[in-house]
Amino acid sequence: MSLILQSVQIHLGSTPLFKPLDLSVPAGTIATVMGPSGCGKSTLLAAVCGTLDPGFSLTGTISLNNRVLNDIAVEHRKVGILFQDDLLFPHLDVFGNMAFALPAGMSTTAKAGRIAESLASAGLTGFERRDIATLSGGQKTRVSLLRALLAEPEAILLDEPFSKLDEELRSSMRAFVFEHIHQVRIPALLVTHNTKDSADGTFLQLR
Amino acid sequence: MSATCRTIFLAVIITVCSITSAHGNQSWNDIVAKASGQTVYFNGWGGSAVINDYIRWAAKEVESRHGVTVKHVKVTDIGDVVGRILAEKNGGRITNGSVDLMWINGENFHAMKTHGLLQQPYTQLFPNYKLVDTENKPSTLFDFTVPVDNQEAPWGMAQLVFLYDTAVVADPPASMTDLLEFCRVTKGRFTYPAPPDFYGTTFIKQALLELNTDSEALYRPLDAERFQDITKPLWDFLDELHPLLWRGGRAHPKSAPEMTRLLGDREIFISLSFNPSEASNAIATGELPDTIRTYVHSNGTIGNTHFLAIPFNAAAREGAMVFADFLLSPEAQARKSDPAVWGDPTVLSMDKLSSEQRALFTAVPRGIATLTPEQLGTVILEPHASWVNAIEKEWLQRYAR
Amino acid sequence: MNISRPGKLKVFPYLTLTTFLLPILVGLIFTTIPAFGYLPAAGGSEFGFTPFLRLFSHPSLPAALRSTIFSGVTASIVSLTLALWIATALYGTRLWKLAEFSLAPLLSLPHAAFAIGFVFLITPSGWLLRAISPVPSGFTHPPDWITAGDPWAVALTLTMILKETPFLLLMVFSGLNRIDVKRTVWVGRSLGYHRLRIWTRLIIPQLYPMLRLPLLAVLAYSLSVVDLAYIIGPSLPPPLAVLIDRWFNDPDISNRLVGAAGAVFLFVITLACIALTMLAELAIKRAATDRMLNGKRKSPFESFIPGARFFAGGLLLINTLSLLVLLIWSFCGIWRFPDFLPSLYSLSNWLRHGEYMLEPLGVSVVAALLSCIISGILVVGCLENEQTLTQARLVSISQRSLWIIFVPLLIPQISFLFGIQVLLVTLHLDGTWFALVWIHLVFVLPYVFLTLANTYRAYDQRYSHVGTTLSSSRFKTFAGIKLPILLKPILFSAAVGFSVSIAQYLPTLYVGNGRFATITTETVNLAGGSDRRIIAVYALCQFILPLIAYLTAITVPFLMHRNRQLMRN
Repeated sequence: MSLILQSVQIHLGSTPLFKPLDLSVPAGTIATVMGPSGCGKSTLLAAVCGTLDPGFSLTGTISLNNRVLNDIAVEHRKVGILFQDDLLFPHLDVFGNMAFALPAGMSTTAKAGRIAESLASAGLTGFERRDIATLSGGQKTRVSLLRALLAEPEAILLDEPFSKLDEELRSSMRAFVFEHIHQVRIPALLVTHNTKDSADGTFLQLR
Repeated sequence: MSATCRTIFLAVIITVCSITSAHGNQSWNDIVAKASGQTVYFNGWGGSAVINDYIRWAAKEVESRHGVTVKHVKVTDIGDVVGRILAEKNGGRITNGSVDLMWINGENFHAMKTHGLLQQPYTQLFPNYKLVDTENKPSTLFDFTVPVDNQEAPWGMAQLVFLYDTAVVADPPASMTDLLEFCRVTKGRFTYPAPPDFYGTTFIKQALLELNTDSEALYRPLDAERFQDITKPLWDFLDELHPLLWRGGRAHPKSAPEMTRLLGDREIFISLSFNPSEASNAIATGELPDTIRTYVHSNGTIGNTHFLAIPFNAAAREGAMVFADFLLSPEAQARKSDPAVWGDPTVLSMDKLSSEQRALFTAVPRGIATLTPEQLGTVILEPHASWVNAIEKEWLQRYAR
Repeated sequence: MNISRPGKLKVFPYLTLTTFLLPILVGLIFTTIPAFGYLPAAGGSEFGFTPFLRLFSHPSLPAALRSTIFSGVTASIVSLTLALWIATALYGTRLWKLAEFSLAPLLSLPHAAFAIGFVFLITPSGWLLRAISPVPSGFTHPPDWITAGDPWAVALTLTMILKETPFLLLMVFSGLNRIDVKRTVWVGRSLGYHRLRIWTRLIIPQLYPMLRLPLLAVLAYSLSVVDLAYIIGPSLPPPLAVLIDRWFNDPDISNRLVGAAGAVFLFVITLACIALTMLAELAIKRAATDRMLNGKRKSPFESFIPGARFFAGGLLLINTLSLLVLLIWSFCGIWRFPDFLPSLYSLSNWLRHGEYMLEPLGVSVVAALLSCIISGILVVGCLENEQTLTQARLVSISQRSLWIIFVPLLIPQISFLFGIQVLLVTLHLDGTWFALVWIHLVFVLPYVFLTLANTYRAYDQRYSHVGTTLSSSRFKTFAGIKLPILLKPILFSAAVGFSVSIAQYLPTLYVGNGRFATITTETVNLAGGSDRRIIAVYALCQFILPLIAYLTAITVPFLMHRNRQLMRN
């Protein structure tokens, strides 16, 4: 299970944003991509996820587990994403947010079981019926990750997920996120401008 | 002096005093003098551009002759204005009212009179009132059988006439029964506005008067017990007529002007109007094609008068009187009757005019689609107002569910 | 960060509330009292239920009620559905920008003017049929089909849908500003969901609370509209609001009591429909929550989404055609069936009426400018106060009670204007500019608030924080930073307010007491006449004024910020 980028380059019109990129992310590892602001880090994630804005064009190949993702629609790529804003759905409670990620056809008890299990692994037992607005920053980040993982993605993208958290929280969140990703053994691509956020996998500087 | 003479003399004095004391012995010159500089708010239906133009002309004349400014307040429904004056009376505003002169007749006049919303009798003071043909046009004295009592000034004559398109109708029906026959042959090409629209109600009244054998009862107050009997011929007629009407009787035009539009669009072939010169006027402005002509029923059609009235609390009372008097003048009436301008028939009597004044009228062209007074035939008087209400209610009951 | 006390801004909610509380309360009271029999001038001097008895025994009532409820409820539901469907289909595409751009002209075409044009499109003697006559239809005379004015109120409902959908779409635009749509869609898609499900399960539930009030306003309007119903609604009998208007104008003055009873009844019906809508919302929420979590990624209706383009296009097309036909009529000399175009053109309609229109135009513009400027100031003041309170974590009763300003939108106009007229006449304020602008304010302010609120609240406060640290003057920051940034939304909502004022008919009539002729009162007056050419000229003038307002609202910020790319969003 790996995420492979071959000669990936993104153009805005005719101008390339960075030099062609080659990257291989094995399962269970987190590759970090760094670069100055405006260099196209988030655009790169958009390309992998499949949500490139119309003005951009992609050259090169992105493949996941031997599937070429280039022409596959977002819904079918099975690539999860975590943003710096938690983007939890405010009209659903914690249970609702997480259940939304579960596949169809699960019975209610099965769903409740999976979610309880997932929350427990993050130290958030009993949080099912909590209103999103009442969660702290760290709790929101954890629920976001749990939600992304419940969908059983084959890869996960992290768009500066810790930049909105304060220093103290950051390290514990980093550890939490990295550990969970290691556990589910999927490749992850992390984008950040903060060196401290980098993970243990490949490190790449975008030019 | 003998006792009898003294009594008679006193009686005469008292009578004269009580007539003139109504306005504190105002002479017409006093009124004109006071009117100068006033602004008169004239409330009248504003849906016709030609009528609005005529009023604009009249306003300009009165401005230059007497220094009275007239503002035409256009209303869609004069009943609205009656309500406003009522609200003013209710609110204690007995002077400085917002309405100085209004264009009304019929039920609205009846309402205003009943609730004391009109000025005390005043039209007898107008110099031009003497010229009104009260003898041959009884509707100038009785508005829908309610005595006018000099509380409103007659302005123009109205008579129910039918308009038809000669391009498609060779022989227009000369009575209601003929009309029914016409509709059987040519379905969906005739209609009338739904009551309580004024024109719709008049069409029904016309039908009732034609089809009914006991028309005397209709000129007396409503006989509730005999109502169903007397009106039966009307309902039978309408029951037969409605499915043959435009839109199968499931929709009615909302007003007479809409009917003129339908006639111009060739959706209907026969329309109706209250202005005998309506067709000529509409042809002149291009609204109707020049194949349109007018006709009446052989036994006569309903006619009435429309009036100008001054509310009890008018702020510019004298100005209103001066304006109303001008509108009664031979000059204004002659211009009004010109189909190229408006075409509304005059209330004045030709016999009472001087030869120059009469010449103003003879100079007016008849209008291509206007019938001569002889062709207009008999004018049937309006039935008693109490019948109107009952008939409207019954119509709504039967057809507006 | 030193947050200064809300002090001076507090005056805005108070001012706004006094403008509203008094007239609404008084209006309702003075309309309700006659409903129970007490109106001395009409001979009603004892309380009782007679007016209501007369109302309910009126033969036209059941049918009028049916057409009112059918047209009102259907129009509201369909407009909302269409607006949401269009948003779901077009968001993020180039057509979305086009939709936003075309909203301004769509919104500036007043309801009555549109209805007049639309009638002429669809009547059997209208433009559509003229296009196919006499070839290939074979018609030399218009067929006797029933289209406009049909007894089932379908034409009326259609007209309302065509006018309300752009308004609700505007509210959707405004509401979507508060949601991070792009990334919500991103997350949803990364979880495997397809477009329709993302919108129905993630975005619309967040959007709906912001649409609730506009929807209820649309519902209340549709149930109580008089001029539209008169132009294109059923005639036998007409909807309830038209009946009530007729009773208020009836020469038989005792019918005013029945009118008052009808107005109260219509108010109750409106409240009932509003209550049902809220209940429906709760019911749908409850039923939907479980379904929403069933994990099914794709809806069977997914392929229907692009169909919205057809409806959006149709909306645009019909509005354009209605406008076009008015234009043609205004330059027309003679135009008879089955000619597709006039046989004779003429400038005289415009020339003759040009000078007569100047005064009504002037009155309309002055009244509209005053009401939109005053409401603009009041609304910005209230919203700014709200921001300051939120920052200071304070709550004030006056700010909380601001919902009252929406009440005029939820009550049928005819249900309280009568009472207001009585009040003004007693105070000798009727027919004054003060009263006219004030009554326009009552209806303009809620719309300005509705259109501005979301965008205003979405403003990034950090700009002002930085500004205050730089200039150490709250006012300078507000005027120099916040206002220019929010210039486009503020001007746009002012344009909305301007159009609302231009289109007011009943309020001008009841309060103006005949002293004020606006372009709208003139148009409605003439609409009762027979000369379509003149009606078209006036209707077009009625349209041009709001159009100019909208164009100004779009052009001024564009020119001001022409070198600022970020501002051109």
